[in-house]
Amino acid sequence: MAFEALVNWLMGIASIFQKRKIVRLGLYGAPNAGKTSLANKISMDWLGEPVGKVSEVPHETRTIQKKEHVKVRANGHELNMNLLDMPGISTKVDYREFMKYGLTLEEAHKRSKEATKGIIEAIKWLENVDAALVVMDSSEDPYTQVNITVIGNLEARKIPVILVANKIDLPDAEPEKIREAYPQYPVIEISALKGSNIDELYEIITKSLR
Amino acid sequence: MQIQIEFLSSALLAGKDGNEKINLIISSIKDGKILVLENPLTNMEETKLIEATMKKVSSKFPGIEIGTLGSTSPDGIRGQLIKMLGGKTSGLTVIGPSHLVRAMKRDPQSMSIFASAGRR
Repeated sequence: MAFEALVNWLMGIASIFQKRKIVRLGLYGAPNAGKTSLANKISMDWLGEPVGKVSEVPHETRTIQKKEHVKVRANGHELNMNLLDMPGISTKVDYREFMKYGLTLEEAHKRSKEATKGIIEAIKWLENVDAALVVMDSSEDPYTQVNITVIGNLEARKIPVILVANKIDLPDAEPEKIREAYPQYPVIEISALKGSNIDELYEIITKSLR
Repeated sequence: MQIQIEFLSSALLAGKDGNEKINLIISSIKDGKILVLENPLTNMEETKLIEATMKKVSSKFPGIEIGTLGSTSPDGIRGQLIKMLGGKTSGLTVIGPSHLVRAMKRDPQSMSIFASAGRR
C-alpha cells in the first residue's frame, strides 16, 4: 500500500474511535497462526503477565482469553484496549488430528468438542469487537477461505482491520504473499515469538485505533 | 466409493431464507455430497455455515471444506480482487465434507479441489 493511502486510511479509521475510551481489539485467524503468542507479547510488554498458554497442538485456545485495560503507548500516542485473544477459526475439527500430537482418544474428543464451541464463540464476537488484528502465519498460504471469510465479515461490519504477517523468523516465511493477497489492507510483518517489529505494530494500532 | 457432485442453481436457493439455505447445505454435505452453488455465498452466509457446521461436528463428520470464487457483494474483498484483475464479480461456491474434500487451493481467479473417498 502506498504511504499516502496508508495515511488516509489511518486518518479515516481514527475518526471512528475519537470518542471511544477503551477499544475492544480482537485477534482473529486460523489455528496456530500465533494469535496467543502475539497476545502474550502485547500483554507481557504492557501488563507484565501473559494471556494464555501456547502449544503446537491446534486449538489450544478454545475460549476467548481477555486482558482488560492494556494501555499501549508509541510515538506519543496511547491506546487503552481490552485485548481479546480469539479461538482459531476453522471449517473442520477432526479429533484424529489431536491424537497425532499424543492426546488420548478421550482427550482428543474433549478437545474437539471444546474447539467447536470456541469457533462458534469467536464467530459470534465478530460483531462485538471495535477493531481486529487478523493474524496469519507467513509460512502458510494466506489466501484461504477462513481468512477471506473473516476479513470479509469484518469489512462488511466496517470494523477496522490490520493484517499481521506473523512468524517472519521462519526460513520459509513469505510475508509478501499476504500483501499480494490483500493489497487493500495494512500488513505488519512481525515475529511474536522473537518480538521482531512489534514496535511497528504498536505504532500503527495507537495511531489508527485510538 | 463414488463421490457425488451436486450443482445447485441460483433459482433453487433464491426462495430460501438464510437458515433454510444453510440447513439444506449442511444436510446435503452430511449425506456425503460435494455441492457447487451457482450463486456464491456471501461472507456472512459463510460464517453462518461454519457456525452451523461446528454444531454438527462429530467423530463421523469432522466438518467441511469450502471455497468461493467471486462475490455477490461488489464491495466485498473478493469482488474487489476480481475487479482489479478485470474479472466479473459473479462466481460460485464449492462445499464438501472434509473427509472427502481434503484440501482446496485457490487464488482470486481459480480454485483446485483435492478429493478422495479413501481413508487418510
